[in-house]
Parts: sequence; structure tokens; C-alpha cells
Amino acid sequence: MEDFQNYIESGRLEQYALGELNAAGQAEVEAWAQRSPAVRQELDELLAGVGVFAEAHALTPPAGLRERVLGRVLAEIATPVAAENPITAAPTMRVSASNPQNQPVAAPMAPTASRSGWAIAASVALVLSLAGNALLYSRWQQANTDLVAAQNSQAQFAATSQVNERRYQTETEQLSEQLHVLRSPNEFKLVALAGTPAHPAARARVLFSQATHRVYVDVQQLPALPAGKQYQLWALNNGKPVDAGVLAANTAAGASLQHMKDIASAQAFAMTVEPTGGSAGPTLTTMTVIGNI
Amino acid sequence: MPDLPLISTPTAAEAALVTRLRARDQSAMTEFYDRYSAALYGVIHRIVKADDESEDVLQEALVKIWHSMESYDTTKGRLFTWVVNISRNLAIDRIRSRQHRVGAKTQGIDDSLAAQRQAAPVTFRPEHLGLQEITKQLVPEQRQVIDLLYFGGFTQSEAAEELNLPLGTVKTRARTALKVLAKLIR
Repeated sequence: MEDFQNYIESGRLEQYALGELNAAGQAEVEAWAQRSPAVRQELDELLAGVGVFAEAHALTPPAGLRERVLGRVLAEIATPVAAENPITAAPTMRVSASNPQNQPVAAPMAPTASRSGWAIAASVALVLSLAGNALLYSRWQQANTDLVAAQNSQAQFAATSQVNERRYQTETEQLSEQLHVLRSPNEFKLVALAGTPAHPAARARVLFSQATHRVYVDVQQLPALPAGKQYQLWALNNGKPVDAGVLAANTAAGASLQHMKDIASAQAFAMTVEPTGGSAGPTLTTMTVIGNI
Repeated sequence: MPDLPLISTPTAAEAALVTRLRARDQSAMTEFYDRYSAALYGVIHRIVKADDESEDVLQEALVKIWHSMESYDTTKGRLFTWVVNISRNLAIDRIRSRQHRVGAKTQGIDDSLAAQRQAAPVTFRPEHLGLQEITKQLVPEQRQVIDLLYFGGFTQSEAAEELNLPLGTVKTRARTALKVLAKLIR
């Protein structure tokens, strides 16, 4: 269960709902939703939220747009059906070509056997040619559809790689920012936070820049959280707690540094367990780690 | 069909429409248009802005929906969620390729965002869940985050950078906002 709860709070579901994930990411979320009813329920709720948001922006299209768009759409989606028609239409053409059309012409010539022979040969040739044309037309249409499909998937691929490229770039920037923080001992003071008597094994670090007020947190070891809870970091300034933000699930798991809220001045940092989203003031009984600068 | 909010349309009515679309019933497309076009056009227009391009994208979206009906999986979510996603993605592709053409990637994004923040809806359908309701329910900070993520096509990290906020804050705001909105149809 703990596993699912962490996943729910990781932000992946929001990314899914808001269309940020690529195909692999989407598949991952869907797999989780299939395994856990709790994840499914949470995801459905977020999707409904996005739906409400989208629908709230409904805009009646300008006059005339319905006829234009619907007309073109219906024409376009009718194409593959029209392409099949000539084939099925070919036999009926044969009937109409030989009956009402050819007969009046052929009738006066009936006395001459050779002429009627030529007429039959001509109409057979015409029918074959029509059928051939129909076949070629349908193949051409098919090729056209295939080409459009290929172009679509190529465009999709291009769009996906563009998005990925942007994502990697952001991730790389984050990593180099984290390295900068870790490698600047003069700018960032390292504050070790040790476990309180209730949690002797807990350990974390805060990197605090007194010049720029920036605060990063790095978790080494924190107890797992119950559902609906999050770790919150506090700066203690002259004995008064100041909110420094809540820890994302992956930060609490020690997966990466997290840039917290700016803190103007502090003599110590501490972490407590608060309801998801954080509290205005710390719940002191849940204090897990603390350390002086 | 009654004019319920699309996102909470009874599943039976939705399933009937899906079945007809899958059966290649073209009259179902007209019905689909009449029910969904305002919602889809609203999202598209919010992203691409220009009327003529919105019309293009809407058309493209409808054709794509028609042709991809086979791949729509009812177990993964509502029809509305699926079709609005297709429309949004096409609209975002459109502005990205526009930025590509102009060759001013980031500037394009910033421009369109600035425009977005000012853009006021021309008309909205009061029988649908209205913008006023959204504005009433969300604090401006939450609305701003959702706007960037949904209409701007930003990732959470990009939104954090754009708004100069910790990533955790962006995540929390997005999550809280979506939950508040979901309650509107419960």
C-alpha cells in the first residue's frame, strides 16, 4: 500500500492527466492504475478535474464554422468508402452500359453479325477497362491513405523527440544546478540534521546560502510516511519556525536534492510530518530531524 | 441528448456514440460535432489563438478522432478526456511547429503565454461549467499553474522555472487545483 501511496504523491498522475507524459510514461501510469484501485481512483479524479477545466473554456465556434468544418470532415472521412465503391459499382455499370446505352446503338446494327460482334467486344473491353480503372483508383487511394498515415506517425515521432529533447535539457540543467550546490562549500553551508530520540536513525542535510537565501535539502534516511502525510522543512529563526516547503516523495526517498523556499535568516533547520501540502505551523510531536547551523 | 456537462455524460449515452462511430456511421460524426465542438474549439483556440488556425486544428482533430476510434480504450477513461487530449496535442504541435518555422523557440512560447493571460473568452456557454465557476473555485496561483501546464504545454519543471517556484510547489498546486475542480461535478 505504502508503495501505491508514494506513487500517488509522486506527481506522475498529474503529469499523465495534464498530458505531459510520452507513450512510455503513459503506459507506466496505466499499469499502476491497473494494479491498484487506489491509483485508479486518484487518476480518475485528476482526469475529471482536467475535464472540468477544459470544458470550462468551451467556446461556441464562429458562425459558418460548423458547415465548413463538418462539410470538409465528412468529405474527408467519406473518401475511403468512395474508393471501394467503384469496384462494387463495376458490375452495375456493366448492366447499365450494355442495356440502356448500348442497345439503342446496337439495335439498328443487329442485322450485320460482324458489327454486333465488334460491339460486344467493345463493350467487354470497356467493362474491363472500367474495372481496371476502379482497381487502380482504389489502390491509388490506399497508397494515399498509407502515405498520410506514414506522415502522421513521422510527425508524431518528431513531436515526441522534440518534447523529450526539452525534457532532457531540463533534467540536465537540474543536475548541473545540484552539482553546483554540492560543490560550492563557500556559498552553501552544510547543515547536518540528526534524528530526534524517537527516530535515531533519521538523517538529512540542508544546504543553505546566507547570501542568496537559497535552501536545498538532501535526505539520507527518513522513516516511511503514513498515507496522506508529507515531510515539511522548517527554518528556525530566533526560535520562531518559518515554513521552508514540503518534501516531494522522491526527495524524501533520497532520490535527489530539492530546491526549497528561500529563507532569509536561520540558526537551525528541522523537519516534521504534516498532512499532504504542509501546515502553517509545525506539529512539534512529529519532529524527525533537527540541526543547528 | 440532454446538454449535460460532457465530462459527466452518462456512460450509456457515451457508449452508444462510440459504438456508432466505430461502426463508421457518418451521422454519428454530426452528432459528435454538435455535442463536443464547443469544448474542443475552446481548448484549441486557447492554445493557438488565431481563428483560422483553430478551425484547421479542429478539422484535423475530428478527422483524427474518426480514424483513431479503433484505438480508443473505454477502460482507460472517458470519451471526452480522450478527444480533448487529441485536440490539445494537435494544437500544441501546431504552435510548436509555428515556433520552429519562425525560428524563435522560447520567444514564441513566451509570447503566446502572455497573450493567453490577457485573452478573455469571447463567449462561453453558460450551460457548460463556466469559467466564472473555475475562477471562483481556484486561487489565482493554482489557476496560473494549470494554465501553464495545460494550455502552455509546459512540463512541471518548466512551469517551476517559469514561475520561479520550487518544483514541489508546482506539483502540490496542480494536484490541489485538479481535485478542487473534480469536486464540481461530483
